[in-house]
Amino acid sequence: MAKVGEQDANYIRRVIVMQRILEWSGRILLVLGFVSPWLWLVGVLALATAKILDNMEIGHNVMHGQYDWMNDKHINSKAYEWDIACDGKSWNRVHNFEHHTYTNIIGKDRDFGYGLLRLSNDFRWRVKNLWQFFTYLNLSVLFQWGVSYHELAAERVFFGKKKDNRDYKVPHSELKTRFFSKGARQLIKDYLIFPLLAGPFFLWVLIGNLIANLLRNLWTSTIIFCGHFTGDVKTFSEKECENETKGQWYYRQALGSSNIKGSNWFHVLTGHLSFQIEHHLFPDMPAKRYREIAPKVQQVFLEHGIQYNTGSFLKQYSSVVKRILRYSLP
Amino acid sequence: MSLIFNPLTNWFSKQFFHHSSMAGYLEPVIQLFKPSWRDGYYRAKVLSVTLIANKTVALELKTESRWPTHQAGQHIELTIDINGRLSTRVFTIASSPNQAMHEGVIRLVIKQQDAGLFTPFLSRLTVNAWVNISKPKGTFLLPQSNAVSLFAAGTGITPFIAMLHQALHEVAQPIHLFYYAKPNAHLLVAELESLSNRLPNFTFTLLSRSIDGDVVKKLPDCHNTHWMVCGPNDFHKTIRDYALMHQQSLSSEHFSLVDLHSTGDEKAHFQVDHGGIKFSADNQQPLLAQFQANNINVPYGCGMGICHQCQCVKKKGVVRDIRTGKLSDYGEELIQLCVSQVVSDVEFKA
Repeated sequence: MAKVGEQDANYIRRVIVMQRILEWSGRILLVLGFVSPWLWLVGVLALATAKILDNMEIGHNVMHGQYDWMNDKHINSKAYEWDIACDGKSWNRVHNFEHHTYTNIIGKDRDFGYGLLRLSNDFRWRVKNLWQFFTYLNLSVLFQWGVSYHELAAERVFFGKKKDNRDYKVPHSELKTRFFSKGARQLIKDYLIFPLLAGPFFLWVLIGNLIANLLRNLWTSTIIFCGHFTGDVKTFSEKECENETKGQWYYRQALGSSNIKGSNWFHVLTGHLSFQIEHHLFPDMPAKRYREIAPKVQQVFLEHGIQYNTGSFLKQYSSVVKRILRYSLP
Repeated sequence: MSLIFNPLTNWFSKQFFHHSSMAGYLEPVIQLFKPSWRDGYYRAKVLSVTLIANKTVALELKTESRWPTHQAGQHIELTIDINGRLSTRVFTIASSPNQAMHEGVIRLVIKQQDAGLFTPFLSRLTVNAWVNISKPKGTFLLPQSNAVSLFAAGTGITPFIAMLHQALHEVAQPIHLFYYAKPNAHLLVAELESLSNRLPNFTFTLLSRSIDGDVVKKLPDCHNTHWMVCGPNDFHKTIRDYALMHQQSLSSEHFSLVDLHSTGDEKAHFQVDHGGIKFSADNQQPLLAQFQANNINVPYGCGMGICHQCQCVKKKGVVRDIRTGKLSDYGEELIQLCVSQVVSDVEFKA
């Protein structure tokens, strides 16, 4: 961490500039679709890339507190907000606290299967698991709404389901307001205001935004599943983790995630979540540094005989699909 | 530029650009064209950095034109980028409003602290580098009335230099300056001499406690004047106590380094101010536990510095990171309560 400094500050500002340029050229090109549909297509891709950069490399990482040391009024985990249906503050609370503290402890980390999918024998088999591959596809398509609903713990907020071991500190009414206001703003912005601004090209822009959001959903969902639910990822019970030491916490982080190999642009677009293992070990280290520490982490794993789950995108993704299919049967 | 950022555009940004403020959304882009441009700050360009005495630098800055000119005696917050991190300190302007108005130039005279986290870096500033400054603040101003006695110690000379330079342009009352420093360590002496040559009613005496004795000795001679004091805490306190006893009119500005309890082994208590609610905290337990013990509700999560839920904006003071033992900066920054202990009095935004 001692090396973190100017280089990282410049990097994140550069990525933000890139994101703003892509977002605006994307939105403009969508309207220019009447000149040539190719321009529209480039616009869709630019906007989708902008949304991916915003969600992954900027939003996710800034909201993890990776850049709080910069003391910048806008680039910090308290101030940043992202271009996605899920309210940043709600996400920050559930994701950083529940998921990163209690990673893969069944019953505490609700991210394991998101309450929709059965991904290990820790859960009893139900009939609905038979078609969970299609549930998974649906989740991917609507991923931003899934995240929003999930991070809200909506089944509890809306339907009053309670769990005893939780202390939320944020009133349900406020969570609901955040859920609806952020969601509504996203819908109005992408599917009403920006299309209306385009006048006669209303539909072009609306469909363009729809596809950009869809591409972003598929991408983020896929990357996140590859980081958490490959075949080798282990789960833990609450009992195992009572009075856990710091060392055991690291050990759990190590076994609870998996990496994806890839090139420079691939890592940037995943927000360096292709280094999911390093991310779980050091969630508030500027993510680009994961590339530097990965070989050292791997070395330590080797010395202690811990499995370091990594592989190509295809290998990891097929492993995820297999896992979803495997546990759809009893 | 400030016209672009107002409540209306912020509302707009919130609705359409998913950011709570327009400036937050656009700042890195604007910085491509205007380096170091920051919402809520003014920009200034470094004209020169000169070592004027042992460990004392004079920093000349060219302010941007929209900067509201100061009054002699006021101070600013200076923000510099130290290896990617923004740090802020307060300094008095040691040059006249007249110069600021006509040339757009201000000067700061700063003592460099060996163990400081800010002042040592000033020597590394290069000509034409950008820094950020706040608008001028403070009410330490020369009164319009009768005769004035000035008491300065060390770098406490700075506001008086500004006042005296300004007096060249405005009719001024009789002024006498008592300037305390270590023998031969008085700052800007040549400038004071030139000022006393040009200002018929200004005189000064250079003093050292080791030779001339404590400032208290000088005070009985100045009873019929208004007193102005600028210097370290103990210097200020001596004069203030005397003035209170003799019902003497006094205005003052004083500064201190935060009193650090950095060894941390023996137990000590410090005052914590959370948006006006004050309580005493020790340097042994994490701050979060002490907030809770005092029934102050703050969000929290993992309790081990991972989830950033208990993060608070510290306005002033120094805390220690329990995990690394590293001390924080003095100024405003985000800290996590669950892994911080106090090592000085601390103030938080509620």
